[in-house]
Amino acid sequence: MAVPRRQFIASGAAAVTAAATLSFPRPAVAQSEPIRIGWLAAMTGASSAPAIGFDRGVQYAASMINAAGGVKGRKIEVLTRDTQGDPTKAVNATQEMISQLKVHAIWGPTNSGESLAVTPIMARSNMPNIHPCVVTSLIDTKKYPNAFRTAPSLGQWDAAVRGYCLNILKTKKIAVIGDTTGFGATAANFSVDAFKKDGADVVYAANIDYNQPDMTPDMVRARDAGAQVIVVWSTSTGMDARLFNTRGAMKWDVPFVGHSSMSSGDVANLIDKREYWNKVYVIGYRSCSFDAAGKLPPRSQQFVDSIKGKVTLSDNLLWWVAGGVDAVNLVAKAVEITGSSASADIIKYWNSLNKFPGYFGDYTFSPDQHNGYPTDDVVMSEASSAKDGAFSLAPGYKA
Amino acid sequence: MIGSILASGLAVGAVYALIGVTYNTMFSASRVISFTAGMLGMLGGVFGSLFILRLGLPVPVGFVLTMGCCALVGVITEFVAVRPVLKSLDQHLYVLSTLALSLMIQQLVATEWSTEPQRFPRLFDIGSGLLDEKFWLPIVACAVGMGALDLLYRHTLVGKAFLAIAEDNFAARALGLPERNLRIASYALAAIIGAFAGFAGGELLLAFVANGALLNFYGFVPVALGGLGSNRGAVVAGLALGIYQQAANFVVGGIFASVAVFAIFIILLLAAPQGLFGAPAVRRV
Repeated sequence: MAVPRRQFIASGAAAVTAAATLSFPRPAVAQSEPIRIGWLAAMTGASSAPAIGFDRGVQYAASMINAAGGVKGRKIEVLTRDTQGDPTKAVNATQEMISQLKVHAIWGPTNSGESLAVTPIMARSNMPNIHPCVVTSLIDTKKYPNAFRTAPSLGQWDAAVRGYCLNILKTKKIAVIGDTTGFGATAANFSVDAFKKDGADVVYAANIDYNQPDMTPDMVRARDAGAQVIVVWSTSTGMDARLFNTRGAMKWDVPFVGHSSMSSGDVANLIDKREYWNKVYVIGYRSCSFDAAGKLPPRSQQFVDSIKGKVTLSDNLLWWVAGGVDAVNLVAKAVEITGSSASADIIKYWNSLNKFPGYFGDYTFSPDQHNGYPTDDVVMSEASSAKDGAFSLAPGYKA
Repeated sequence: MIGSILASGLAVGAVYALIGVTYNTMFSASRVISFTAGMLGMLGGVFGSLFILRLGLPVPVGFVLTMGCCALVGVITEFVAVRPVLKSLDQHLYVLSTLALSLMIQQLVATEWSTEPQRFPRLFDIGSGLLDEKFWLPIVACAVGMGALDLLYRHTLVGKAFLAIAEDNFAARALGLPERNLRIASYALAAIIGAFAGFAGGELLLAFVANGALLNFYGFVPVALGGLGSNRGAVVAGLALGIYQQAANFVVGGIFASVAVFAIFIILLLAAPQGLFGAPAVRRV
């Protein structure tokens, strides 16, 4: 039977394609090339402290995996770009990572302002992305099916604060104070609405300029309104310290509950007396909290022991370092289990995770839920109890 | 409440007033509104904290070094941001040049010092509550500063020379006064006044980079209200602004307090565009 020339060529091409698809091994270069992780880090600038902490974890995790031979022989290569907390620089770095550096996954950015700018860009390229940013809208499985959050969302923070005020401190008359920044105003409004929804009486709500030299007016108004607790949503350590000093001067023992900036070492330098820092409870994490006996959870203790002498914790927060380690491990594990560093495979693996045992927390994702951090593990800590990046649990929690 | 409004309001108002005088002093010598005035106030706090707390120097030494460093910044301002644009004052290029220098100072402090507020030392450790030194020190500093300026302008030859170039630059030069050197000295003097405000108000405002922008704005309000070039007007308007602002914090609170300040600022300027103590410029011909 004669075979027409055109049919012969078509059949041949189909056979070659089928053979290539079915029986040929994948190109060796794909299996031996490094696993490239883009790391969008605000290493310098005003909000650099978290990224410096995360970076210690990232570098530690990469070095440990590589020292053990890599992931199925593939080394981890961390490609860091300093975004300086600037969304424009973050956008440029993201474009570079996607189009030139050809990274397999991106970790970061570490603040919401940058993340809001780069998340849609990563979504267009279906780039697997893990970040620890709190703004609720950053996680949307329909718009951004590639983006996964490994830290609590603002809603989870707020739930922890609200739960502590209402269920543990048993307070019903709440004052909510935010600063006038975008975060402060958003978080305070969110908090007021949620407290009201839970039946609490929000007796005072205000947004204060974080640079206001004297906090007496707002504290007097809160006291006169009958506040039993003051919830603070601000990242300004100056404002925090001024609130504590004013409370001390007023000899009012109302507790403060809220954002973790109230536990910053900068606050310690600004308060007039050390005892003014008592009865201040900040958002913390069970994995990074000492129990009543002064012990960390076993897995966290094992982690702290393993990094002793290699990673400095005294000037940083444990959850930042642990979160950095977890980010690298999540990428490495995805490649190890799927045998692939293709975007779709990494995302599919992350979507299947159920209580993935990280050092910061146990992450659970599904195709419809990319807020991976367990809400129950968001707890309140005593602000003045920092030791090696971890804090004591606030009173009232069971170990 | 009244005590708190007076103590805190007068203290902050005194700092605003001295920053207003800083604006005026620079303006008198050059006809330039230099937006580095607030930065000098911020530097007064930052250098004070640096020398006394971080480097452990005695308070008098720290004070002198702070004044010296800020005077140098004032001189640099004159050379870098003012002198190059003096020939085209009518184009108001000084707004750009002094704002640019101001931002550079701010960025440098943020990078080299801290973006978070830092503690300022207790200078005398006198008083507590509403009589704490953090409240009365800026008021005393304002009184001392104004007294010293008055002495300088009325009873010294250099002071009279300053007034001469402020009054009529060309005539002063025609009379043989070293106008350029006097302008440099005026900028150094203005910088010292600004730094003095920041140093005296350091315990209240802390050593904080964000104070620069805050003082740039709230220090300019007394100048506009009191009348450009009128130190007495700046002091009265500055103290009134401080009390009004603190009263607004008590009465309406939060962001509404700022709105209240802006509202009264606009209303007063509509009523008296030349400021409460200013007079329309009149030149004999």
